[in-house]
Amino acid sequence: MSSLQTIQDLMVKQFDLKPEALTPDATLESLGLDSLSVIEFTFNLEDELKITMPEERIELKTLQDVVNLVDKLIAEQKNTAQ
Amino acid sequence: MTRHVVITGMGIISPVGKHPTEFFDNLMAGRSGIKHLQNDFIERLSISIGAPVEDFDPTAYFSKMQLSSIERFSQFALVAAEQAVQDARLELGEAEYARAGVCMGSCMGGIGTIEEGYVELFQHNKSRVKPLTVLLSMNNAAASQISIKYHLQGANMTYATACSSSAIAIGEAYRQIRHGYADVMLAGGSEAMLALGPMKAWEALRTLAQEDPSDAGASCKPFSKDRSGLVLGEGAAVLVLEDAERALKRGANIYAELAGYDCSSDSTHITKPDAAGQVRTMLNALREARLQPQDIHYINAHGTATLAGDIEETKAIRQVFGAYADNTPVSSTKSMHGHLMGATGAVEFMAAVLALQHNAVPPTINLQHPDPECDLDYVPNQGRTGLKLDAVMSNSFAFGGSNAVLIAKRFKV
Repeated sequence: MSSLQTIQDLMVKQFDLKPEALTPDATLESLGLDSLSVIEFTFNLEDELKITMPEERIELKTLQDVVNLVDKLIAEQKNTAQ
Repeated sequence: MTRHVVITGMGIISPVGKHPTEFFDNLMAGRSGIKHLQNDFIERLSISIGAPVEDFDPTAYFSKMQLSSIERFSQFALVAAEQAVQDARLELGEAEYARAGVCMGSCMGGIGTIEEGYVELFQHNKSRVKPLTVLLSMNNAAASQISIKYHLQGANMTYATACSSSAIAIGEAYRQIRHGYADVMLAGGSEAMLALGPMKAWEALRTLAQEDPSDAGASCKPFSKDRSGLVLGEGAAVLVLEDAERALKRGANIYAELAGYDCSSDSTHITKPDAAGQVRTMLNALREARLQPQDIHYINAHGTATLAGDIEETKAIRQVFGAYADNTPVSSTKSMHGHLMGATGAVEFMAAVLALQHNAVPPTINLQHPDPECDLDYVPNQGRTGLKLDAVMSNSFAFGGSNAVLIAKRFKV
């Protein structure tokens, strides 16, 4: 399963969002997520994907931004694990 | 300039009702909301009774997105506030936002969220807690959520004076209007502390009532010889307070005038109540309301059902009311809704205002064995209807010595 799918599923589960609204170019703001919801969401992503978010805040504007960050972290942290 | 302050809306989420009408009907019928708890940690408690808010489904009021940043104690507060605002048919023009505010009381705020965090850290050895833990659990979250929802840009204050928190919140909100700082205030309290940690802490203090072996609902027995303490409860109550002129101008339904308030400190002992402080507070509130003791037709007592507390309050009422003490009905509705801590003052003041409205006095239930040291008319076991009430008093005497007394009277133009 791609990380996009996981992210979409988690958004539906956590925020009751409509799956069809969750296109990669959708902005998090247009989905109704404010900065706090984003923090809450990335916290749950850490659990779901067994990754650790960086300490510093990263600008996440669209769903694709989240996918990119997550993919990058998965790649990096898989290497570290080995 | 002092202005008159009236009550134009009420809302409540309590162990004996999720609406003021249901709440008061249950009180009059002597129905208890106290029961054997069903929580998953129940086997770890020595005393496993409480007064929970049951069948409260937050998703009926909030979206999942909202719920991630609104704690249970704030949920109760927001739902009670919405009822009160609807009840008052309150509409604020943009120019009025800065003249409207909120005062709430809470003892432990979002203690449930703090406990969850501790479980993660200390029990599961996790390295992180939920990112919104601070915003969920801070004591002023409930008041702030109310302020945000209704654009209240005046004072936004939260009081933590233990058992008198929300009586003080209502009193201080009244002062905001009375002295001209605001025209409209939402005021009340909220508490959601039926979690393992706080319940164990109360257990350790040895002030909780023992479960009545034949009926858990009858465990809290204020003023009765066989009383053994208080029962922890949860919920919220919120009132709309309004400048009388504003309320009259818009043709609002006016329940009562909040005519007098006083707060004071015993300054004697951290738990042991002191009649002298209570007397001072009642007398000052009467003076402010320009009423004599005989004008008060019902007292909703603090009446926690602790050994010392009930005797001390009885003494204080006798001292203030003198010859009239025997003719003044005094009841402890805590016998039914339990002790809602930071919400209890607001819940009980609401019971008193509803008593005034309905000319009916709710009983003290479970009063089967009169205590010679508690010798007032406690309205034992049976509520009274068909009375003629002109003014009512609600007492709140807290751990820490913070006293508050509120007086409401029938509003006359």
